[in-house]
Amino acid sequence: MKIKLDHVSVKFGDLYAVKDISMTIDKGEYVTILGPSGCGKTTLIKIVSGILRPTEGRVFVDGEDVTDVPIEDRDTGYVFQNIALFPHMTISDNVGYGPRVRDLDSEAVTGTSRQYLELVNMLERAGMMPNEISGGEQQKVAIARALASGSKMLMLDEPLSALDARVRMELRYEIRRLVKKLGITVLHVTHDQEEAMSVSDRMILMRNGGIAETSTPLDMYRRPETIFSAYFVGETNFLECTVVGKTKTGKTTVRLRNDTIVRVAKSKFNVGDPVVISVRPEHVYTASDGLPATVRNVVFMGTYWRIRTLSATDDYIEYNIPADDDIPELGDEVFLVFNKKATLVFARPSEGLEEAIRLE
Amino acid sequence: MPEIRLENISKMFGDTVGANGLTLDIADGEYLCILGPTGAGKTTCMRIICGLTSPDEGRIYFDGKDVTDMPVDEREATMLTQSYSLFPRVNVEDNVLFGPRLKGWDEESCQQLVRNMLGMTHMEGRGSRLPNELSGGQQQRVALARALASGSKVLLLDEPLRALDARLRLELRKELKSLAKSMGLTSIHVTHDQDEALEMADRIAVIRDGRFVQIGAPQEVFENPATPFVANFVGRSNIFEGTLVYAGNGTSRISAGEGITVLARDPGYEPGTKVLVAVKIGNTKISHVKAEKPPEPEAKRIEPIQKIPKPKPVLDFSFRGRIDRILYEGATITVEIDVPGLGLISSKLPNRKYDDYDVGEEVEVTWSPSKASVFPYPENGIKDELRLD
Amino acid sequence: MSIFKRIDDLSSSPRIRKGWFSAALIIFLTLIIIPAVFVLLEAVIEWESVSEVLGDPTMTGMIWGAVSNSFSIALIVTILDIVVGLPMAWILVRRSFRGKRYLDTLIDMPLAFPTAAVGISVVMFWGAPEGVAIPGLGLVMSPYLIVILLHTVFTFPYMVRSLAGILDQIDPSFETAGMTLGASRLTAVRTITLPLFRAGLVTGFILCFARSLSETGGTYIALQMLGVSSSFFTGPTFIKYMKDLPGADPTGALIVVSVIMIVLAVALLLVAKYMMNRLRLPWTKVWPVWERRLSKGLAARSKDILTFVFLFVIVILPSFYIFAYLTAPSGVADLNSLFGAIGISFAIAGIAVVFNIVFGIPMAIYIARNGNTRLGVLLDNLVNIPLIIPTTVLGLSLSMFWGSFNLPAGAAFFLVTLGHISFTYPLVVRNITGAISEVDPSYEEVARTLGAKPFRAFSKVLLPIVQSSVIAGAILAFTRSLGETGATISISKDVVTVPVYIMDLIEQGQYYQGAVAAMILIVICFILMFGVRYLTGRRKQGA
Repeated sequence: MKIKLDHVSVKFGDLYAVKDISMTIDKGEYVTILGPSGCGKTTLIKIVSGILRPTEGRVFVDGEDVTDVPIEDRDTGYVFQNIALFPHMTISDNVGYGPRVRDLDSEAVTGTSRQYLELVNMLERAGMMPNEISGGEQQKVAIARALASGSKMLMLDEPLSALDARVRMELRYEIRRLVKKLGITVLHVTHDQEEAMSVSDRMILMRNGGIAETSTPLDMYRRPETIFSAYFVGETNFLECTVVGKTKTGKTTVRLRNDTIVRVAKSKFNVGDPVVISVRPEHVYTASDGLPATVRNVVFMGTYWRIRTLSATDDYIEYNIPADDDIPELGDEVFLVFNKKATLVFARPSEGLEEAIRLE
Repeated sequence: MPEIRLENISKMFGDTVGANGLTLDIADGEYLCILGPTGAGKTTCMRIICGLTSPDEGRIYFDGKDVTDMPVDEREATMLTQSYSLFPRVNVEDNVLFGPRLKGWDEESCQQLVRNMLGMTHMEGRGSRLPNELSGGQQQRVALARALASGSKVLLLDEPLRALDARLRLELRKELKSLAKSMGLTSIHVTHDQDEALEMADRIAVIRDGRFVQIGAPQEVFENPATPFVANFVGRSNIFEGTLVYAGNGTSRISAGEGITVLARDPGYEPGTKVLVAVKIGNTKISHVKAEKPPEPEAKRIEPIQKIPKPKPVLDFSFRGRIDRILYEGATITVEIDVPGLGLISSKLPNRKYDDYDVGEEVEVTWSPSKASVFPYPENGIKDELRLD
Repeated sequence: MSIFKRIDDLSSSPRIRKGWFSAALIIFLTLIIIPAVFVLLEAVIEWESVSEVLGDPTMTGMIWGAVSNSFSIALIVTILDIVVGLPMAWILVRRSFRGKRYLDTLIDMPLAFPTAAVGISVVMFWGAPEGVAIPGLGLVMSPYLIVILLHTVFTFPYMVRSLAGILDQIDPSFETAGMTLGASRLTAVRTITLPLFRAGLVTGFILCFARSLSETGGTYIALQMLGVSSSFFTGPTFIKYMKDLPGADPTGALIVVSVIMIVLAVALLLVAKYMMNRLRLPWTKVWPVWERRLSKGLAARSKDILTFVFLFVIVILPSFYIFAYLTAPSGVADLNSLFGAIGISFAIAGIAVVFNIVFGIPMAIYIARNGNTRLGVLLDNLVNIPLIIPTTVLGLSLSMFWGSFNLPAGAAFFLVTLGHISFTYPLVVRNITGAISEVDPSYEEVARTLGAKPFRAFSKVLLPIVQSSVIAGAILAFTRSLGETGATISISKDVVTVPVYIMDLIEQGQYYQGAVAAMILIVICFILMFGVRYLTGRRKQGA
C-alpha cells in the first residue's frame, strides 16, 4: 500500500506536535522515522494509523483520502512501544483477535493465529499467557497479532525500546526479514539511529515537529545534508574553521583554529565563509605529520579501539584503530589527518554549533 | 577509599533465585559493570551491596569491615536509579542538598556545594527548576549531582541510561564515567547493554541466573569469553556445533558439517569431542571467490585436509556461501551469508566495503583461528545456553 | 529539632519500628474491629432473648421484611449505578471536552450532602408530603421506590468514582490496539477493557452496596415524611424503630437483625472478592456488524444522553431541591440549638479524623508496602469490615461491647466518638494506602542510600508526596462523620449531632426548621469538599 501525507499538521493546544509534513511511502517500502524524544515522530504514525486526526492536511492510502476513516477501518497493524498484548488472553487468542472481530469462523481464527505464530517462531508458546513469556517474545507475538488482522501496512512504534540491548539487536534483523518476506509496507519509529540504519530502506529524520532530512541510510550517513543529521546519525567529529581556498572544480581547503590547513570534500562555499567540517572517526588516521593532538582516553569497543584526543585546535577528536593494533599511551602526542573525500563541509550555524545539534 | 568484597552471597525470593553464590572483589576507585539480561539478578546484587535487600547467606565487606548487617543509611553507598527518583515536590537545589542537609551542613557551605555540583554536571542556572520541568537527560544529571553531593564513596548505578534516547546515551556514557572517576568513587554500574559495558567499564562482571559467569577487563571478556553465552552476549558471535578433529600447535581443526572444516583455538580437548565454535561477527571475514579457480574447488580443497595423516599446521581455511542480504549500519555493514550446512553466518565489515559486495554473490568466509573460541557442547543444549532473555 | 532527632534515631531500630506498627495494630483490633463485631458474641450471651424472638412469628416476619428490603434495595440501586455509571466514568476518563472539570465537581456534589438533607430533598422533589409548603412533582410512589431513588442519589458518585479510578489505570493502548486490529469501539471495550475492569466493578459494587445497606438517617426521614416509618422498614430503620419503641425490651430483636446483616454483608464481601479473582465472563463472541452500528452515531450518542439525563433528573435535581425552601421562608429557625448540634458534630468528627490519621498511617504504610504478604492481605480485608457493616449495626454492637464495661453515664459522647472512629477508619486508611502504593518505593530507597534514617525518609520524602491524599482522606472522613445518623442514634439518644437534630425536627413535623439546618450542614460540607478538590487538583498539577 502506498501512503501519502499532504501538508499534515497536528496541534495540541497552541503547540504544533508536527507541522506541515508531506511525504510518500511506496508499496512494500520499509521507512524509519528517526528523531530525538519529542520530535513528533510517534504523532506522525498515529496519524497514519488513524489513532489521531490531523488538525490540518490529508492522509491518502493508495490514492484514497482516508483522513476521516476511523481506526478500525484503516487496516493498519500497529505495534505499541509497551507491547500491549491483551493480558487476559492467551498468546493464540491475542493473535486471533483480529480475525475474530472480523467475524471469521472459529476454525479460520485458529488457523490464521497458528499461521502467524508459526511465522514468528512462537507456535510452541501458543497456549501461554502474555506475562509468562519474555519481553522479546511478547513483541514477536505483538507483531504476529498486527499482521494476522490482514493489514498490508505495519506501524512500529518504538517496538524495541522496552527490550534489552542484545535482544533488540537480534529482533531488528528478524523483523526486517519477516516484513520483506511478506512484502508489507512498514513505518518504524525509533530514536536509535543504529537500529534505523540497519532495518530501513529509507529514513526520515525529524526534529521539532518537522522533517530534517529524508534519504537512504547510506546517503544519510555518507552525505548528510545538515549538521544535525551528521551528528544524530552515526558519530562524528566537528571542527569549526574558515574556507581559505577554492578551485573552479569545487575542491576546497579550510583553515582550522590553530591555522592548520586541511583539504576537504568538494563544496559550494567561497573563500572567507565560516564553516564547520564533519569527519567520522573511521576517516581520521594518524600520520607522521598533521594536526597535533594529545591522547586523552583509550576505550576498547570490541573489534576496534576508540582513541579520544584533544587537538591543538582545542577540539575533541576521536578515531579508531583495529583491535589487534598497538594502542597509544595516555598523553602521547599524535598527528591526525582526515580522509579528504569523507570530510564534509557545512555552513557554520548562526545559532551556534551546540544549539544546532542539541538533542533535547 | 572503599574496596568492596562480596563473599558467596545468596538470596531467594520465594522460589525465584535472586543471587546464587556471588563472590566479587571491587578495587578502590574501580568502575565495575554488572552486565546481564533481564532477570539475571543484576539489580538484586546491587541492592544487596547498598543494603536495601539483605542476603540469605554470605557477607559483604567495605574496606575489610563486615557491613552485612549495617543499615542502608550508614553505608555511604548511594544509588542512582533508572527513573532517577528525583523528589517531585522540591526543586533541583533542594534535591541536590538532601544529603548535606541531613548532616546538618550550614547554609553557606550548602550553597557552595550546590554551585560546584551543578557546575560539574552542566546544570548551572537550573537550581530552582522542579524535576518535572527538566528533560530526561537533565534529570539524570541532577540525580548524579545529588548522589555526588551526598559525600558517599560508593556509587551504585542501576541502568542509569536506560530511559534516555540512544544518541544521548552515547554522550552521557563518557560524561558519567569521567565524573565518577574524577571524584574517586568506587562505582558499580548495572546494565543490559554490552556496548555500554565495554565502553564504560574497567572490569565487567557478566551475570546470569544469579551467578557471575565471567569477571574480567572488557577486552578479555570480549576476546576470551568463558562460555558460549558470553561469546554471544558481549558482541554478536557466529556460533555453530562441530566435532573436534585435531588439536595441536595452538590451533584446532573442527568438522562443522557437510564438508566444512574450520580452524579455531586449541581448547585442549580430545579429538572426537562435540564442541561449539564461536567467532565474533566482527572477526568473520569474507572475500570474493577468485575467478581462476576450477568450478568445484570446495570439495577438492577440503579433502586433502581431512586425509592428511600427519597434519602440519594449516593456518588458513575457508568455506563458501551466498550473500543473503547486506545491511548498512553506519560505521559498519552487516553481511549475512547463507552457508549450506551451517545456516546463516554474519560478518560485520567496515562501511567502505559496502560497494564491494552484492546480494546473491558467492563469497569465501574465513577467520583467523586465534579469534575463534571453542567450548564443550553445553549440557542443556545450544538453544538454552544462548537464550538472551 | 531535637525531638525529630530523637525520633529519627529511634526509627533506625527495627524493634522500635515493629513496636509502633504493633501499637497501631492493637488499637485497630481492640477499638475498631472487635467492638464492631461484638454483637456476634452477644448473640451467644443473650441466647435466651434471641431464641424468644426467633420463636415469635410476627417478630421474625418484621425482621425478615426489613432485611430483605435492605438487601434488595441495595442490589437494585447498585446495578442501576453500574449500568448508568459506566458510560459516565468513560466520559470522565477517556474524553476531553470543555467544562469537564465542572462535570467532575457536579458528580461529587452529592457526596457532600448529609443523607438526612438528601432524604428531605428527595421526598420533596418526587412527592408532595403533607406539611411541606414547597410544591414537588406530586407523584404517589411506594416507599420502596422512594428509598431506591434516595439511595441512588448518594451511591451514584461512589460508583462513578471507583469505576473512573480503575479505568484511569487501564492503559488505553489496549483498546486502541483492539481497534487497529479492526474491532469497533464497542467490541474493543466489551472484549478487552471490561474483562480488565473486574476489580473496579467489584470495588464499586461493594462500596455502593455497603453504603445503601448502611443508610439510616435519610431513609428514616423519607419514611417519616411519607408517614410509613412504623410500617415499612429497612434493616437500620428497624433498629431505630425498635430502640424507640416504649416498653418492650428490644435486645433480642436488635441482636437478630444485627447478626443477620453482619453475616450477610461479610458473606457478600467474600463472594465479591472471590468473583473478582475467578469470574470469567464468556465475552469472546462478537457480532461485528451490530456492534459496529452501535458504536457510532445515534446509538452511541443516546447512551451518553441517557446517562446525563439520569445524572440530572435522578441525582442532581432531587438533591438540590431542598434549596427551594429559600424561596419560601416560613417561621424562624432555632439557631442556638442548631449551633450546639454543629459544635458536637465538629468535635466528634475532628477527634475521629485526627485519631484515624495518627493510628491509620502506620497501618496504611504496612498494607501498601506488604500488599502481597499474607498479613498484608488479611489486614487489607479487615480494614474493609467497618465499611461494609451497616453503621447502625456497628453502633449497636459497639455500645453492647462497651456496655459490658459499666462505663459512667457521661461516657455517651466518648462512645459515639469511638463509633465514628470505627466507620471513618477505612476511609482514611484506604485513601492513604492507595496513595502510598502509587508512590515508587525508589524515592524512599534513594533517600536512605543518601544517608536518611527511616523516619527522615518518611517525613521528608514520602509524606510530602502523599500529604494531599492524607488531607483528602481526612476531609472525606470528616464529612462522612458530619452526615452520619445511624451509628449515632444506635449508640446514644443523648448525643445530638446535626443529622440527629434534623431527624428530631422532622419527627416533630417542623419541616422548615429541619430544612434550614440541612441547608446549613450542606453548605459546611460543600466548603470542606471544595477544600479537597483544591488540594487534589493541586496534586495533579504537581505530579
